[in-house]
Amino acid sequence: MKKVLLLLSMAVSMPSAALLADPAAASPSLIEQAEAARKEADALGFEWRDTAKLIKHAKEALDKGQKEESDKLASLALLQGKAALAQAKSTEKNWKMMIPK
Amino acid sequence: MKKTLQKRLFTGALVLMTAVMGGQPAHAAVNKYQAMVAADVKKFQAYFHKEFPDVKLDEFANGVYALDEDARKQWKEMEEFPPYELDVEAGKAIFNKPFANGKSLASCFPSGGAVRGKYPYFDEKRKQVVTLEMAINDCRVANGEKPYPGFKGDLAKVSAYMAYISRGQKIDVKVNSAAAYKAYLKGKAFFYGKRGQLNMSCSGCHMEYAGRQLRSELMSPALGHTTHFPVFRSKWGEIGTLHKRYAGCNDNIGAKPFAEQSEEYRDLEYFQTIMSNGLKFNGPASRK
Repeated sequence: MKKVLLLLSMAVSMPSAALLADPAAASPSLIEQAEAARKEADALGFEWRDTAKLIKHAKEALDKGQKEESDKLASLALLQGKAALAQAKSTEKNWKMMIPK
Repeated sequence: MKKTLQKRLFTGALVLMTAVMGGQPAHAAVNKYQAMVAADVKKFQAYFHKEFPDVKLDEFANGVYALDEDARKQWKEMEEFPPYELDVEAGKAIFNKPFANGKSLASCFPSGGAVRGKYPYFDEKRKQVVTLEMAINDCRVANGEKPYPGFKGDLAKVSAYMAYISRGQKIDVKVNSAAAYKAYLKGKAFFYGKRGQLNMSCSGCHMEYAGRQLRSELMSPALGHTTHFPVFRSKWGEIGTLHKRYAGCNDNIGAKPFAEQSEEYRDLEYFQTIMSNGLKFNGPASRK
């Protein structure tokens, strides 16, 4: 009985394998998130001019080991991708209101 | 029998009355799409007449040179020896040059290629807008040739030649079906919709800012935009298509440009050309 209780207490107190894993590896990277947002905006015809370039430069920076620079560029690309998506939704809903009187 | 006759007489009288009283052709009254589009054209052109009461409708075909006297003088001087002259000559040679199968572009187009006024149109079988440049490439592909690439070069040159020999043809683009109206609406949504990093629209610059200074440039009015392409732009140093200009505008506002002859640009050209119904084609032209 004591052995069973000991094993149970160990199991509860030990962190799971999932929790021990690198959080960055478990979720999509900034580059992946930016690329997903870019693709979504592109499919709606609203991709911005520089988003793909920012992602390309972010990948190049990562390949050179410049993680901080890569994250900075990828964050900007993600911001652009999300803004383009918001723009697409807003335009689809409101374009008729933009017709000058 | 009596009721049928009465119904027919009533319908006939209604169509006749609408035609006479509205001053519109009878088919416009019975074609709901054409009627909706005609109302849009009326509003669109009225906007520019209100903004520029001294500019006559035909003059809008000259773009910004209809609005600014100094720029017009410089443009008139440039047109005495037009920079697109050699491109028109080259386009004529391309138009008549035989393909490998012995046929040529001349085999595909009636009236010796003076058909600018028939484009763009909505092809009811293909369910899409067909532009002149698209028809040129369709002809090449149908005859076993590769389509011309890009926004410039031979495609622009042959289009310039066809525009040149079509000068004076009236714009009268129709919308005769639900599918055509859908393409028209897509073009309309593109024209008025904001896009790109600067969150700007075609109408923002070329309606609300038309005739006003944006940095060093005077904004051209959207009315008449499609009459004079292809255009030899000093900035480009060569002749280019309307879609090249669209791509340049999109790039300027921080939006990813679409491809030459993409559905988006063909629908936009369709909408814009319809808005200029009643004007005359006067391409090619020279621009800054």
